[in-house]
Amino acid sequence: MSGAKDRMRHKKMRNQPSSVTYSSPDWSGSQKRNGGDTPHSGRSFDSSSHMRGGGPSPSDRYHQQGGWMRGRQAGAQAYAQDLPKCLTASSFAKARAAEVNAMLKAVNKTTGSCHVFGALPKHMRRRAMSHNTKRLPCRLREGALKMLEKSQQSAQKGKKELSKNKSRKARRRHGNLLLEFNRRQRKNKWLETHIWHAKRFHMVKRWGYCLGDRPTQKCYRACYRAMSSHCLLQDLSYYCCIELQGPEDLLLRSLSRLTSKETGPTFAASLCLSGRREGSVMLYRPDQYPSQALGPVLFLWRPCTKGSAHRQLWIWAHPTVKQDLLPELKAVCQCSEAVVPSATAAVPVPAPVPTPVPESTQPSPTGQPTSRKRKRTDGNPDGQPAKKIVGDGTRSPTTPVSWRSPVSGIVISDLSMEIVRYRLIGPLSHTVLSETLEPATDCDAESKSKSCAFWWPEHCKNQDNMSLHQQQSDIFQLFKGVYSTAEFPAGTVLGLTVDDPRLTLPRKKDKALPNLQKAEGVDEDRLRDISLRGVPEQCSHSALWEQSVRDNVTDNKISEQELNRMKSQLLVPGSRLSPVPLQGRIPVLLVHQPGKQQGQEMASWGTGWDLLLPKGWGMAFWIPLLYRGVRTGGLQVGLKHSQNKGVAHFPHDYPDCPAGARFQQEQEMDLLEKFKRRPPSKRANYIKHGCLAPFRCPWQQLVEEWEEIVREGGDAGKSPEDTVTGQPTQLTEMLSHPANSSAPRGSFAVLRNRKALKQLSAWCRPTSSKGQRAQRGSQTAALCPASVASLQTAHPSCLVWVRLSLLTKGHPVLHAMVCVPTADDLQQLLKDPHGSGPQEPQHKDHFKSRIKRRKKGHKTPSSAPKNESSDPNKEQGSDSTQSLPMDQGSSPTRCLSPEPSSTPILTVSKEPGIDPTNSASSGENLTIGLWPKPLPSVTSHCSRLTLGWITQGDFSLTAGCGEALGLVSLAGLLQMLLKQPAEQRGLVLLRNPASLQYRFAKINIEA
Amino acid sequence: MVRFKSRYLLCELCVSERNSLQLLEERVIYHAVRAAVNRAHGDYGSAVCNIGFSVKYVNAHTGVVLLRCRKGHYRLIWSALPFITGIESRGQRVQCFLNCLHVGGTIRTCQKFLVRYSTRQLHRMLLHCTSEAERREVRKAVMSFSLKKRREDGEEEEEEEEEDDGCGAGVDT
Repeated sequence: MSGAKDRMRHKKMRNQPSSVTYSSPDWSGSQKRNGGDTPHSGRSFDSSSHMRGGGPSPSDRYHQQGGWMRGRQAGAQAYAQDLPKCLTASSFAKARAAEVNAMLKAVNKTTGSCHVFGALPKHMRRRAMSHNTKRLPCRLREGALKMLEKSQQSAQKGKKELSKNKSRKARRRHGNLLLEFNRRQRKNKWLETHIWHAKRFHMVKRWGYCLGDRPTQKCYRACYRAMSSHCLLQDLSYYCCIELQGPEDLLLRSLSRLTSKETGPTFAASLCLSGRREGSVMLYRPDQYPSQALGPVLFLWRPCTKGSAHRQLWIWAHPTVKQDLLPELKAVCQCSEAVVPSATAAVPVPAPVPTPVPESTQPSPTGQPTSRKRKRTDGNPDGQPAKKIVGDGTRSPTTPVSWRSPVSGIVISDLSMEIVRYRLIGPLSHTVLSETLEPATDCDAESKSKSCAFWWPEHCKNQDNMSLHQQQSDIFQLFKGVYSTAEFPAGTVLGLTVDDPRLTLPRKKDKALPNLQKAEGVDEDRLRDISLRGVPEQCSHSALWEQSVRDNVTDNKISEQELNRMKSQLLVPGSRLSPVPLQGRIPVLLVHQPGKQQGQEMASWGTGWDLLLPKGWGMAFWIPLLYRGVRTGGLQVGLKHSQNKGVAHFPHDYPDCPAGARFQQEQEMDLLEKFKRRPPSKRANYIKHGCLAPFRCPWQQLVEEWEEIVREGGDAGKSPEDTVTGQPTQLTEMLSHPANSSAPRGSFAVLRNRKALKQLSAWCRPTSSKGQRAQRGSQTAALCPASVASLQTAHPSCLVWVRLSLLTKGHPVLHAMVCVPTADDLQQLLKDPHGSGPQEPQHKDHFKSRIKRRKKGHKTPSSAPKNESSDPNKEQGSDSTQSLPMDQGSSPTRCLSPEPSSTPILTVSKEPGIDPTNSASSGENLTIGLWPKPLPSVTSHCSRLTLGWITQGDFSLTAGCGEALGLVSLAGLLQMLLKQPAEQRGLVLLRNPASLQYRFAKINIEA
Repeated sequence: MVRFKSRYLLCELCVSERNSLQLLEERVIYHAVRAAVNRAHGDYGSAVCNIGFSVKYVNAHTGVVLLRCRKGHYRLIWSALPFITGIESRGQRVQCFLNCLHVGGTIRTCQKFLVRYSTRQLHRMLLHCTSEAERREVRKAVMSFSLKKRREDGEEEEEEEEEDDGCGAGVDT
């Protein structure tokens, strides 16, 4: 600041004359100080300035010695001799002349601001003079122009010049706007509803798409209410569809390498294989089952046509799964040959040429010559109709989207963005659907007889198709008599062909409610049949499976403008457009989504339907759906939906998948950045709260440490620890061997074996408590050390995904710790069931003083024995893990034993600080309140052993208490269950990262 | 504008021997004036004048001195100026007196007055020149601050300014 101030002052004073004196040599010191920033040029009036014209004079030398400055000058003693003894007129005149020169300069040049109009007296100054030089008097204009140019140049240097070569009108023209949109989609694609969303949602760029995260309005509860009592709409088009075509047995054989029967039904599940149900399955890398998970996918088989083994399968995967899955699929199916897209995909439009034909055949008043002319001019000039850009217009047409296997004939094609997927969540979503969609009306005989470019008339020619359509629409009519969406069997698929929903758009937005009186006529028996057996197999057929039909429908969509024109020409304004234009028949697929299937309370909460549409029709269905009073949700609502439903949400709860790991990294970065944005005094000190990793979950370390603890438990079997159950030594021996041999270091897996999960869930239930179902686990093996050991050997280094519900108070948040309660805690709970739970003693922050010291003196040497300290550190760490399990029942002060062991780690992390090369990086690592990178033992850091962490937690509006989803270590969970008394089995403690309070929670494992 | 208003006294230091002008310094003038005020107006005057009193400009060649003081009490200093009979500098006592040329409200007016005054003096001197060489010298001096010369100066100045700005920008970035 002072530098800038000096500069300002210097600039201001540079035209001012400074004093001219001769000084004695003993002032030279001060002269240096004063003259430090004085330029040597003849700024000030000095003795040499008047010599400019003439030759060098003796006085020039003095000027060189030390520039003139107000104050004292050196070199005067030399001058004394040079001074003339008498006064001459010339010297007198010279001195006067020089002074006059200096004064003139000072008077003419303005001080202060460098603006030209500073020279003007105040009463002559005018507004905006610095912008408009013409407001200045003529004599000053030249300088002002110069100044203006200079300032503009410097401004351009700062920011890039905006290229606004086009007028706004030109930019907003439809074609140019589309081009601009395509340009903006190059990195992150837009969904079809993007513009609608962008006006109403906070958008995030994620997974290569621009997605709505949450609405800008406040609607947390409203969304929940919509999900639980009406209907909530979500655009899931970013889910990628991969299509597999080929012989059934080959497909199943190759796909079976990616799945395992142990995790539940696979691709070959008979209900799904027939095409009647949509299935979901967990995929792994080929033949790697328990480890290397890829992620969950939904899949849908096309119902088989008679006498053909050729099948079609859609796999719906999250975009992050897709990027891992597609190479694997290609490898498994040996599809190496990329099919040139122009050959397969019928993207080049077949329609534009015959467009005028149907229009002329239509008896509706559309056939006006003017409109046809306009349409032609619209579509034809550059041979590319504007609607071509619908869908993924950014993908280059030459990138291959399908691959063929030369051996088996399997074809894999990437259909992402080809099919729009909307999800309706809520018990009344079927009502919304039945109001929005209307089964396609038959086309009249006249158009049937002619050959036509549209698919529907052709489709109608086949009698089988028509009867199928009749069946499907009959079933769809039954929807009106259904009370709740939950009545349908999970995963039901219904194919349908519907009319353009824009034609039946209601005048006003209204809430769709079931009208059961009106639906009295619905056959009760058929209704029951549907709810028991689902939709008959043939009704799952849909023309949506055909690529050609999809393209035809997409290309021939009537534009909004055209439709409005047709509507405006109706005789009775506001009446329905009839007959429906031939283009307006769309094949759709309705896929039922099951609700909450596990757990006792709120069964089948969050059930709904998925609506699959051909691309390009997204907005045409979106708006009519909204007119039925649905609410829309973004990604956050999806998260809450799965949380309330008690199912794992994809990237969050799958830390063993590559996508999940990536997600966790991103999340850590985000949270850390958010944390660092706070002022240091307002941050939570996580070290003092005993929270090692508030922003990420070191799963690998957790799993390894628990295996270590189990193994060490065998050696320390005589310790006072096993007072609760009396842990038998033979168990630990059994455990220790497999743990030594088969634990593959560097990978953990999430337990998804259905059998094991069932067993665990039976064990976790307390045998008699709270009046819930008692003695359910009798059919499975009883909880005993032997069975535990066998379970654990079968699944080494595993995590278990659990749902936790808090017993009393508490609001779990992200990355809260799941801890093992001590025997004392459980006793306390028995005595006082409404107590608030134990407290964690506050930890000491050893880093704070170090950081402060670092701040004071940058290179304070400390920790001299740094090289030795790194090795003992590890030993001490293992010591602590040895000693800690025995501390379980003892006082917390003893349990804090790892604290001293953590000090050597401090020195290790401090070590690079002494090294001058690394000091910067280590300075970044050390943040107040956060543990630096090499974490000490995560399990035994606090007074209660840590079992795992929470990945999602919130107050659940369905359950009315805090609920959390998280993962715990299998080994730790089994150890805990063994030690707990039967009536209190499955109780754990939860503690938020920024809190010292433990809360009791109950583990539910759902299988 | 809200500011402390000052008066500037433009004085000319007249000495019998021209060589003694070289002893002129700001500090010397400052002390001499303060001593004179103290003598003439006592402690009160000294204290009142002490606020905001400074020597803004001293020219040892011509003996021009610019004093600054607060507007309210400039008369105290003004009236004390005739009582200065000598200044003491580096152990020497120089007989002199201060001749007040102008009293102004800003430095700028004083500068303007000084320009006019010196010019007039030089012009007057030109008339009284005795020898041809002298006349030439004086004419040259007078011409040196003519209009043309000034414009050249101005242009040079502007060029320098630009350079400076460039350097400044470089430093900033």
